[in-house]
This record gives sequence, structure tokens and C-alpha cells, in this order.
Amino acid sequence: MRRLIALLALLLATPAFAADPPAAPAVKGLWLLTDYPSQTVRPGEVANIRFKLQNAGLAPEPLALSVQGAPDGWKADILGGGQPVAAAMPGANESSSLQLRVDVPKDAKPGSQTLTINAKGGSQAIALPVTLTIASETPAKLTMKTKLPSLMGTPKSAFEYTLSVSNDSGKDLTVALSAQAPANFQATFTEGYGSNEISSIPIEAGQSKDIKVKVTPPRDVKAGNYPVLVRVAAEGATAEQRVTLQISGQGRLSLTAKDGRLSGEAQAGKTAEYTLVVSNDGTAPLEEVEISGSVPTNWKAEYNPKTIPSVAPGEKKDVQVAVTPSDKTIAGDYVASFRANAKGESSNADFRITVTTSTLWGIVGIGIIAVALLVLLGAVARFGRR
Amino acid sequence: MQRNQGRREGSPFTGLGPVFVKELSDHLSSTRMMVLTLFVIVFGALPVGFTLQTLRQVTQSDQFLFLRIFTVEPEQAPISFYAALTFMIPLMAIGLGFDAVNSEFNRRTLSRVLSQPIYRDALLLGKFLGGLATLAVALTALFLIVFGAGLLLLGLPPRGPEVARGLAFLVVAIAYGGVWLAVAMLFSVIFRSTATSALCALGLWLFFFILWPMIAQAITTGFAPSQFRSVDEVLSLEAFGQALQRLSPGTLFGEAVIGLLQPETKAFGQFANLVMQQTRGMIQGTPLPFDQSLLLIWPQITGLIAGMIVVFSIAYIVFQREEVRA
Repeated sequence: MRRLIALLALLLATPAFAADPPAAPAVKGLWLLTDYPSQTVRPGEVANIRFKLQNAGLAPEPLALSVQGAPDGWKADILGGGQPVAAAMPGANESSSLQLRVDVPKDAKPGSQTLTINAKGGSQAIALPVTLTIASETPAKLTMKTKLPSLMGTPKSAFEYTLSVSNDSGKDLTVALSAQAPANFQATFTEGYGSNEISSIPIEAGQSKDIKVKVTPPRDVKAGNYPVLVRVAAEGATAEQRVTLQISGQGRLSLTAKDGRLSGEAQAGKTAEYTLVVSNDGTAPLEEVEISGSVPTNWKAEYNPKTIPSVAPGEKKDVQVAVTPSDKTIAGDYVASFRANAKGESSNADFRITVTTSTLWGIVGIGIIAVALLVLLGAVARFGRR
Repeated sequence: MQRNQGRREGSPFTGLGPVFVKELSDHLSSTRMMVLTLFVIVFGALPVGFTLQTLRQVTQSDQFLFLRIFTVEPEQAPISFYAALTFMIPLMAIGLGFDAVNSEFNRRTLSRVLSQPIYRDALLLGKFLGGLATLAVALTALFLIVFGAGLLLLGLPPRGPEVARGLAFLVVAIAYGGVWLAVAMLFSVIFRSTATSALCALGLWLFFFILWPMIAQAITTGFAPSQFRSVDEVLSLEAFGQALQRLSPGTLFGEAVIGLLQPETKAFGQFANLVMQQTRGMIQGTPLPFDQSLLLIWPQITGLIAGMIVVFSIAYIVFQREEVRA
């Protein structure tokens, strides 16, 4: 029975504890608060300084706000909720969020300026000094890095550089991308692993992004080192990175006919000669150029020379091709495909050969008709009557 | 067989001119000729009319559109112009030649003609050439009608190569008519009765057009091995079958005309063409130049002309040995 009474007493006592008021703030008063009372601004920029008017345990009353100490040419406003305000009235144990907006003129002199925010009520007045230091130079806000600033390749290769751009400033930036490349070089930007070509990219404050620069050299570029200057810029901040293309020369083979006419005539069973031209339009010599080809079945094709030891850039060399159509070729147009092969390079030319047949059989036909006429003449001589 | 006869005096062509002119005028003024020409023109006009209707709907560009008038099978009738000619030219030639000699004999005018200073040689040759000239006139007229209709209805002038091929076609057609004219004259020399001669000539015509393809097919099938071991065997068998078919002048004419009027033709025979298509390196569908087409069909042309001369020679020999006095 005693236990039951004790439990009952406990149950009755609990609401009594819960109903106790929370601990009142230890201090009472009015404060102007800001996280960073001393900041750096650049000339020509607008500094926004957030501050709070905190009321701890006092009865609410309107407090007039003002700013003192702004030098000539500066413009300082107090904003509340986005609007210029002249007074604030925080409730008991509450605060008003406010903002000091300072337009720093472009010609502001380096040094520190102290602006004082005043809040004045009927019974009390408080002040918050804020120090603005005019930065003497533009702080670097963008940086760019690459792991592989120099790539090697041939004029046919695509050179891809991955660059990491970081936004070290305190605000989000849209970064414009550009590249200075030698004439006729093409540079395109893509985002990290994306395929879309971009000209600018947004980077959040403190973040970094990977961009890719793809540089395509012109096909006829000479061997050598070519620098490309990649530049990123946003709101007055720039960063540059020099990348280099090391292009090695490459031969380019081309095979055509002597006068550009890729057709010829041949007679069935007889050898016809054509002249092909092997030329090197590239930038490095071509070694061991081999000439081959495919002709219709039972045809013969001989090449003189079969192998060209070397073709220098810009040089042209003649190749004689002797094609013999087979005896039984039917008159018509045929395709013979000739090919020039060098190390890693090849070129082919389709040659249209019009085959004519020998007129020998025509003569034989006329001979047969002549024989028939001779038979007739013989008959006339033999059976002719007076 | 030495004849007790001296060398002939004078040219065998003495009197050729008058016989030729007389024969030509007889033919051109005869009712038979009118009927034959009408027959041929109607038979030729029908396929050409239909073909032109078909060709007018053709929208794709064709280098040799004009020549298609002769070779395209119209939708309405399963016969092209040249196929109709393959049939009709022999009929016309037989109509002109089947009574060339024996009618003279039956009218007892032969000895009267030969009593003039006209050799038998000249008489036979003159009759042959007269018939050939008549045939040529009729065929040229038909050819010009077709060309004119083509110009009118296609509104497109033929190009040089097309005209050359058309003219060569005309020559081949006349040579083809010559073969059948010579055949008809041979029968007119052999048989005294015009009816027998006509029947024999027409019988030969029917034989070559209906029976011979079947017989040649049967012979070819008989020679075929039980199993083909290579493509070459198939090709050689087809060549053999073709050689048999080519004994018919109609086949020779057909191939020659196809070679001329379809410039894309590079070989004859279905299987041969199939193999050609599989042959690497040949560009299909390209036309041959005119001289190459001519070379391709030269054996056919030679066969027609030489055949004409040989048949005429036989007729000549038979005629020379005949008794002409009735």
C-alpha cells in the first residue's frame, strides 16, 4: 500500500516539474552582432556585411539605425529584408537580421576604414564598429592546373589535355574558356567526360572542375613544338596555362595517274602501259613504298619499280604499270585497283580500263564472206553457159 | 566431168541491168507486194505503238532511249519490234522469191527471155537483186516510219551513235531478208510447181522457228553429263547449245540485233551473262562503243551474209544445170 502511494505521488509530481519555465538568459541587454567585423573589399565592389540586432530579455522598442564614418564618395546603406531601413524593433529574446551595404568607389585609397553602425532607442544606444580594409591588389581567384602539359603525336592525332580549373574566390563564377593556338589549329573545349563543346562553364565557390581541351592541328603541319595558351577568365580574374603539342612529321601517300585521268584503254591479250604517280604530300619521307594492285581474274599486272626505296616530302615518282588483259576478255569496262603501301600509310586508285577486242576476227569474217564469193565465182566459171 | 564447152564469151553480167529494173518494177507494182508491205507494216506498227506508250512513261534517264523503241517489250503485247521482224522478214522474203524462176517457166517465158542477149547468170542474179532491193525499200520505209514515230512521240532526237546503230540494224535486217530470199529462190529453181516451192520455203521457215529450238534443246540435253563437275562444263554445254541454235538464221539475226540495239550487251547466253556478272572487275551496265558492238556481232553478220551467198550459189548451180526449154 505504501508503494502504491509513492507511485501516485511520483505521477502527480512529474507534471509539476515539466511545467517549470525554461532557464532565462543569463544576460539582459541589446547587442549588434556580426560574424566578421573586419573584412577586405576591392575598390569598385560592393561589400555586404550581415549583422544582427539582438534583444535579450528586454521589452521591445524601436531602435533608430544609422551608419557613421563612411568616407566621401562611399555609400553605406542599412538593408532589412532587402529594403533600406532606418529603424528596427526586435522582440524580447529575438533578433533582426540586417545588412550593411557599402559601395566602395573605384578610386578608394588603400588602407582601413572603420564604419560604425549605431542603434539608438529611448533608453539606450549601442554601436558596432566594422573595419573595411581596401585590398591593394586583386587576389587570385582562379587557378588552373594540368597534369600533362605536353603531348606527342602526328598531324593526324587529336591532342587532348585535361585541365583542372578551381574557383578560389568566395563566390560562384561563370568561367569563360579560350585558347590561343597557332594559325589553323583548332581548339575545342568539352566538360570532363562530356561530349558537348562548351565556351564557358559555371564553377561554384571553392570548387574545381575538369575541362578538356582538344587541339586538332592542320593536316599539313610541319614537325615541331606548338604552344597553346589556354586561358580562363571570370569577372576580372584570369588564369593561364600553357600546353605544348609536340608534332612529329608524317608522310602522306597519294597515288594518281600521270595526267589525273584514271582510265585507260587496253586490247584483249595485249599489254597496255599506264603511268601512275606516287607522291608524298606529308611532312616526313616515306620509306619502302610498295606498289600492288588487284586486276580482274586471269589478267596480269606488272609494276616497274615494284618498290620505291624512299619518297621525300613533296616529291613525285612515276611507276609504270603494265596490264595485260587475258585473251578471252570480253569487250567492256573493267576496274583495276592499284595500291601504294608504306609504313602505316596507303593510298589506292581505281583505274577504269576499257578493253577492246582484236579486230582479227572481223578480218576472219570478211575472209569467210570472200570465200563464199569465191565459191560463187567458181560456180560461175564452172557452170556459166554461153 | 569435163564439159565439151568452150569458155564463155563476154561478161556474165550482160543483161543484169534490164532484168533487175524489170523485176523491181514488177515487184513494186504487184498487188502481192502491196499486201506483204501492209502486212509487215501493220505487224511492225503494233509493237512500236505499244512500245512508245510504255517508253513515254519511263522517267529514268537512258542514254539509248531511242534504240529502246526497237527492243523493249511493251506491257500490252509480249512482242518487241525486232522480234516481230524476226518473224515477218522471212515471210516477206519468201513471198517475193518463191516463184521467181518457176513462174517464168510455167508461163513459158523463160526460154523467151534467155533467147535475148541475157545470160542465165544475169537472170538469176537480177531476180535476186531485184527482190533484195524491193525488200530493202520496204524495210527502209518501215525503219523511217518507226524513227519518225519515235521523234514525234518521244520528242527527242536520236544521237549520232543511235543513228549509226539503227542504220547497222537496217543493213542486218536486209541481209537477213536476203538469206530467206535466196532460200525461196533455191526452191523456186528446184521445183517446177510454185505451190510446192512456196510450201517448202514456208515449211523451212516453220521448222526453224518452231521445231529447231526444241530439237536443239533436246540434243543439248542429250549431251549433258549426269552431273556437272565444274562451271566450265556448264559453259561449254551452253556454248554447244548456242552453236546449234545459231544454225537458224533467226537466231543469228536476233543476236546481231540485240548486240546492235542494246549497247550494254557484252556476251550472249544467259548463263554466260550470269558468270560475267560474277567475274570480278567488270563494270556492269556500261555501253560498248559502236565498233566494239560491231565486233561482238561480226560472226553473226558474217554468218548471215555468207549464208546468203552460199544458198544463192547453190541455187545458181542448180539453175545452170537445169533444162529450161519446156
